[in-house]
Amino acid sequence: MRTQEGRLRLACWLTIAALALFVWSVLDPGVVAVMLAMSLGQVLGTAATALFFWVVWTDLRRARVIDRERR
Amino acid sequence: MEKVSISTVKSIADLLVVATILFAVIAFAIMLWYLARRPPLTGVTKLVLLAGIFVFPLMSAMSGNVSGYDTTQKREFCGGCHVMIPWTADAEDPNSKSLASMHARNELFGDRNCYRCHEDYAMFGAVTTKATGMVHLLHYVKTYWSVPAEETFGRIHIYNPYPNHNCMHCHSTELDGFEELADHKGAIESIRSGKESCVSSGCHGPAHPFSKVTKEGAE
Repeated sequence: MRTQEGRLRLACWLTIAALALFVWSVLDPGVVAVMLAMSLGQVLGTAATALFFWVVWTDLRRARVIDRERR
Repeated sequence: MEKVSISTVKSIADLLVVATILFAVIAFAIMLWYLARRPPLTGVTKLVLLAGIFVFPLMSAMSGNVSGYDTTQKREFCGGCHVMIPWTADAEDPNSKSLASMHARNELFGDRNCYRCHEDYAMFGAVTTKATGMVHLLHYVKTYWSVPAEETFGRIHIYNPYPNHNCMHCHSTELDGFEELADHKGAIESIRSGKESCVSSGCHGPAHPFSKVTKEGAE
């Protein structure tokens, strides 16, 4: 998982897990489902988003470095 | 709790359910596309992933959270912790004379009577109510998880005395008829200031009389 693609795949799986919790909580709104969606679901979704933006940011930073070297 | 299918969309709550699923399905499709195809990380791929990892999940989470928040206001949710079942059962009992049950039979309270009476009526009331609810949950897990509900009578109590301003949210005390009752007239200032509780014994309380049994069994 050290490559950018690996990180993005991890972000995808985290997003899928978070979305599964949200869908479960609205289709069968029991206590456990709602509590998990509103706690663990938020954490997983936020982690996935953070991972995605981190990949984009490091890519942009790397691209800028390459641009400077070319100049 | 009631399950919703797409063919039975009748209210905003149902619409939120459909929106949550719709946004989730779109995000799912993007995730599966990326995981299956493994396209090169070009700018376009990143934009598509932005929609799949951030935009659509955020929209799904927002509608899901509103729907979840709505669910947490229902009496059935409060009864999810087994120690609360006697309280919710009393509220649902059509023959109960308790203050809580009488309010549950009022259409304005209905199946949300726990929340309507115990929520904080203030600018950030929803937030503080839910934050306190999390403390309740922690307390439940730490202390009452394996305790039979009947053994909690006399042990479970709210953190602070029940505030009169929660009653006054509906019963303003300002109508002419209110002071016609001698007990109200004599104590009007202490009622409004909260010095004298509306739900104290001898007035309108206790709201949950069955739970006020002492250790010796006397009420």
